[in-house]
Amino acid sequence: MSRGRAEAPERVLRGPVLWTGLTLLTLFALGPFVWVFLASLKTRADLYATPLRYLPAQLTVANYVDAWTSRLTPFSRFFANSLWVSSVTMVVTTSVSILAGYALSRFRFAGRNALLLIFLATQMFPAVLLIAPLLSQWYALGLIDTYQALIYSNLSFTVPFTVWMLVGYFDAIPRDLEESALIDGCGRFGALCRIVLPLAAPGIAATAIFAFVTSWSELLFAITFTTQTEMRTLSAGLLFMVGQYEIQWGQLSAGVMISTVPVAVLFTYLQRHLIRGLSAGALKG
Amino acid sequence: MARALTGYLYLVPVAVCLGGTIVFPILKAMHMSLYHHVLFKPQEYGFIGLGNYSALLRDATFWLTLWNSFVWVFGSVSLQFLGGFAAALLLHQSFRGRAFVRTVTLLPWIVPGVVVALVWEWLYQPNYGVINDVLLRLGVLRDRVAWLSDPGLAMGAVIATNVWRGVPFFAIMLLAGLQAIPDELYEAARVDGAPVTRRFWHITLPLLRPIVIVATATRIIWTFNYADLIFVMTGGGPANATQITSTYTLLMAYANLDFGYAATLSVVLLVVMLVFTVLYLRVTRGIESVT
Repeated sequence: MSRGRAEAPERVLRGPVLWTGLTLLTLFALGPFVWVFLASLKTRADLYATPLRYLPAQLTVANYVDAWTSRLTPFSRFFANSLWVSSVTMVVTTSVSILAGYALSRFRFAGRNALLLIFLATQMFPAVLLIAPLLSQWYALGLIDTYQALIYSNLSFTVPFTVWMLVGYFDAIPRDLEESALIDGCGRFGALCRIVLPLAAPGIAATAIFAFVTSWSELLFAITFTTQTEMRTLSAGLLFMVGQYEIQWGQLSAGVMISTVPVAVLFTYLQRHLIRGLSAGALKG
Repeated sequence: MARALTGYLYLVPVAVCLGGTIVFPILKAMHMSLYHHVLFKPQEYGFIGLGNYSALLRDATFWLTLWNSFVWVFGSVSLQFLGGFAAALLLHQSFRGRAFVRTVTLLPWIVPGVVVALVWEWLYQPNYGVINDVLLRLGVLRDRVAWLSDPGLAMGAVIATNVWRGVPFFAIMLLAGLQAIPDELYEAARVDGAPVTRRFWHITLPLLRPIVIVATATRIIWTFNYADLIFVMTGGGPANATQITSTYTLLMAYANLDFGYAATLSVVLLVVMLVFTVLYLRVTRGIESVT
């Protein structure tokens, strides 16, 4: 594309303004993380120095070791809990929404549009609204301090979004392939497993990661439905650490990094699919 | 007929999941809201009809939280939009390292809410926080400021944090919108001699309108309900300066253990949310028929 003679204001916009803007944007987004990352590597003396020391005089991993092995706030245990709760939530969410997404995409039945609308609306449901009734529900069922309570509760926000996204992915797969499989004597379910799932694999992977990451970040359910330290997830553990005693910023920063890195890595992978799903979902309305 | 039945069969698991975790709890909240139900006063438990609702209407703090919610939503969403729009325009340009900058821009949005809250608590920390330090060095401040415990500053401080968290959302939504605008339109305008500002006002803005409306509406609903940040950073304090309706609901459940009243607030949140959603669907329907 030949740009020709760009006018003066445009040259300024493309040059200095663009680069200043990009620098500011990167600083804005990354700055706070850099600060916390540095804090996690600082000794106590560096953390609480006056005047403030920006770079650690002495690098240490003690904060990570302390957070990971601490008996009061054992991040190794929190990490395992988060991993288990998020993984099971991911598997259940994906199975449930594959079936639902496939049905909504392929079958025509009464109330289909109403159902789609309900899935869209429930995506906006706040956890706050469900806290009090879910707490008394899990209490009545004896599920306080169990992984089940957290996993079931997480389904309330993962499932609506993943169903919505999967309907979109399934819609994009041509029906002809399945029809021929059906004629060849494959059942509906067989056609779903053998034809549709392999084709929709990237989309399904994206929704699965989405379910994992949002469960990993969940806070309110995790602090409400667990009371014992051994049952806390990372998010709940971080908050618990703050409430416990005078805040140990070094250990806390290490804990923050431990909780952040896995989701940051997964989301980087997910980015492309998620953005597509988001903008498509929003525009379908 | 048999086909329709199979269709419903595939929906049984999802119905069980959402029935047990959304539908039933909501009905339960409506039921709970009609009872006097304070955990540490079991002897007073009993049906009180709309008693909780009339108490709510007389509760000055509740009305304050509605106002605070308005400030919180308006402040957060408008600034997120402006920041996100600027970021989207930047990211739409082609330059080396674009993929990197784009991923970095997304970071604040993808990390857990409690992480965002704690990171910013550390930045705001009066004695060891970097914000006071930088502002003191620049001469903007003369004395250290306790951002989160000063009633006049706390709301601004939590909004600033929420803006940081929400800019990426608008950035990627608007970026998707910008990428959908055909290049030919700009080329044609350029040939006609329209300067960059004119092209922005007459091509970019009008064509972005649908996605702007959708993104803003989604964000308003979501921000109104979002409790994590404020809950962790200030707990709604100091003196309810940052208490929004959703954190007030949490406070009633966690601190006051008043489940009847918390459930009443949940029902009110539900109604507000449904009104928003209906409006949202109206508006987006309108957009679909236009585009």
